[in-house]
Amino acid sequence: MKTPPEDHDLLRWLDGEMSAAERERFDARLAADPALKAEAGMMQRLSADLRTHLPAELPVPYGDFFNSQIQRRLSQEQEQPAQVPAAAGWLGWLRLQWLAPLGLAAVVIAAGLTTLKQGAPAGGSDTYVHSIYVPNTAVHASTYHSMDAKATVLMLDGLEEMPADRKIVGFNITRGEMDEAVAATTLFDAEDNAVAVISKDARSQPVLLTSSPAR
Amino acid sequence: MKPVPAFSMLSLIRRSTLLAGLALLASLSAPVAHGQGSPPVQPLPSKKPDTDAKVWGALVFASNDPKEAASMPKVDVPAEFADIPQRLGKVFPYKHIDVIGQHLQDVFREYESWVVPTKDLFLKVDSKGPAKEGGMNLHLQFWRDQQVIVKTDAVLTAETPLFIAGPKWRGGQLLFVLVLQKGS
Repeated sequence: MKTPPEDHDLLRWLDGEMSAAERERFDARLAADPALKAEAGMMQRLSADLRTHLPAELPVPYGDFFNSQIQRRLSQEQEQPAQVPAAAGWLGWLRLQWLAPLGLAAVVIAAGLTTLKQGAPAGGSDTYVHSIYVPNTAVHASTYHSMDAKATVLMLDGLEEMPADRKIVGFNITRGEMDEAVAATTLFDAEDNAVAVISKDARSQPVLLTSSPAR
Repeated sequence: MKPVPAFSMLSLIRRSTLLAGLALLASLSAPVAHGQGSPPVQPLPSKKPDTDAKVWGALVFASNDPKEAASMPKVDVPAEFADIPQRLGKVFPYKHIDVIGQHLQDVFREYESWVVPTKDLFLKVDSKGPAKEGGMNLHLQFWRDQQVIVKTDAVLTAETPLFIAGPKWRGGQLLFVLVLQKGS
């Protein structure tokens, strides 16, 4: 049985992460250990098979959501009064004061997204939008609270118009059941007919299959 | 976001989730065989996922054209949400505001939830737990087909619906409404 360091070396060798000296030493070990050599060969074949069946690059899953959570935490830290330990010194103070806004700016620029922060509502019982991210830079998002309608409004200016010849059919869904085994949700109407199934593909894009128009 | 190299042996384990997704996609796309000697498949008993709340999502068509508005099939809105069209009218200045699709959905605690009043515009909802001041912390993604239009983190309360101004369509506008059901 291989020890964990051996496993680690094998993976580093396969991924080409070894230095020239390390690689030379590992090649010598392969030559001396037929079992290790056989396993390395098998892993190389598996690796080649996977390379041919997977795209060369994939977007980071939930990248925008990850960014949003970082930004949210940074915003929360900004809103809190800085509590600098007495022993931290002036360098520590500088870091605390400047790191948050700089980090925030870096995240926003890196994501290339439009961001917006709604002012906190006066009442505690209103819907409150923390932050908005619009991947399409042609779209401008803004939000406000309408006292008249007693609603929070999210405006999206610059959205592409829906083609007039597109038939938009509304559903009448009364419940959705999650199947944990396949991570898919089946949507049912009032007569308990399955109207649609929704899930996500490998690129986190929604996959929506409809049985027929619901109504 | 910068793409990362898709292949590394060290991340093989993580890839298995992608492969599972591909398998799911394939299974969803595959035609279903009926009869012809294949035994009926009995669903396995399963525990229902925990839920945090219930939301009502609606697709609304707002228009100034009476003919266009009359041609739209409407849905019967539950009594507790019956005032929503009137409230929408205070924000969006259209003469006709009709709910043409709706979806009442549990918000799952550990899984994403989908609010799909139509296949053309729908919402992905991730629960982030109850908010301190009341309501629910949610991460929302507003989708149009395969494109995400907007992502937002919000606290949704039962008292205040969220109105989303959707795309223009047939001289009017599509609106999306999300409401946290009271007592859910």
